[in-house]
Amino acid sequence: MSSQSDSKAQDAFGALAAGAQTGGDIESAAAHSEVMAEAGEFADLIGALTSAFEPVEPAVKFADELRADLLGEPQGLLERLRKMPARVHIAAALALIAGCLLFVMRRLFGSDAPQDIQEEAVATPL
Amino acid sequence: MKNFLARRGNYDELDDSALVALAKEDKQAFGELYSRYLKKIYSYVYHRTGNTHDAEDLTAKVFMRALSHIGNYEDRGLPFQAWLYRIAHNIVANWHRDQGRRKIIALDDYVAHSLKSDAPDRLAEESEEQAQLMEAVQRLPEDRQQLLLLKFIEGMSNAQIGAIMGRTEGAVKSLYHRTLLALRDDLQPAAEAAAQRRLGGAVAGRQR
Repeated sequence: MSSQSDSKAQDAFGALAAGAQTGGDIESAAAHSEVMAEAGEFADLIGALTSAFEPVEPAVKFADELRADLLGEPQGLLERLRKMPARVHIAAALALIAGCLLFVMRRLFGSDAPQDIQEEAVATPL
Repeated sequence: MKNFLARRGNYDELDDSALVALAKEDKQAFGELYSRYLKKIYSYVYHRTGNTHDAEDLTAKVFMRALSHIGNYEDRGLPFQAWLYRIAHNIVANWHRDQGRRKIIALDDYVAHSLKSDAPDRLAEESEEQAQLMEAVQRLPEDRQQLLLLKFIEGMSNAQIGAIMGRTEGAVKSLYHRTLLALRDDLQPAAEAAAQRRLGGAVAGRQR
């Protein structure tokens, strides 16, 4: 291919890509091109690339957290706790329940426990 | 004027260069730049890493680095957007070097993400064709992959791509042409095989 027709082809491919980006009819764009035969072959490829490379959006949570990190926006304690993963919430709830049970048991039976240990220690021969 | 708008919190009325000048001292101005470019940068990084986890990690690094270096940024013909993409490109290139892999997008994620057809036969056919296309794109040199991403995801002109890649508009146009030719040549055997399969299927259907 000569350099002149090469340049025309490049322009046509650019026009095809622009047409595909704006949702235009790339086949009709190719029909108007001086290098219709070759550009027509690329029309399919450009169409496939356009549908292949779809923009992807970040998660809202990620975007908000990164913004807060970048700008040093203060996040309240409750807000930070709320944003923690579910497994952390479950672990915290279990720890709280276990702590409460332990506290209640100590209150009810707490005075007996050390005595039992002492009695066992005395009863055990050296 | 820009200080007046900034005082009123109307950052969205300022252009990039005014925001960059303010952002050197005002984090809220950087926040506006972040809002403008987060989706573009994330999308670019996602297609070059292939998964959400790394895309989030590297996108965060891009903006952290931009924030820490914005004091040194001077608009000498390189727009802020191009500067940001260069940072993203360098961070992704380092990541690929560290990982020792070159990957644009995980094909399973990609197919699940982009196919919209409900017809099972058409879905399978599109899935195979798009998987082959993505594999062919992955085989391209890194600069050609970057060019395709900037053109097809960001919809940038050759001049804008040239500013990011440090090439002239003509060089970008030429590289784009060569990239399409290379992709077409790479996909040719697969396309011929698919055509043969379709032809074979049609003949078998007629014989029945």
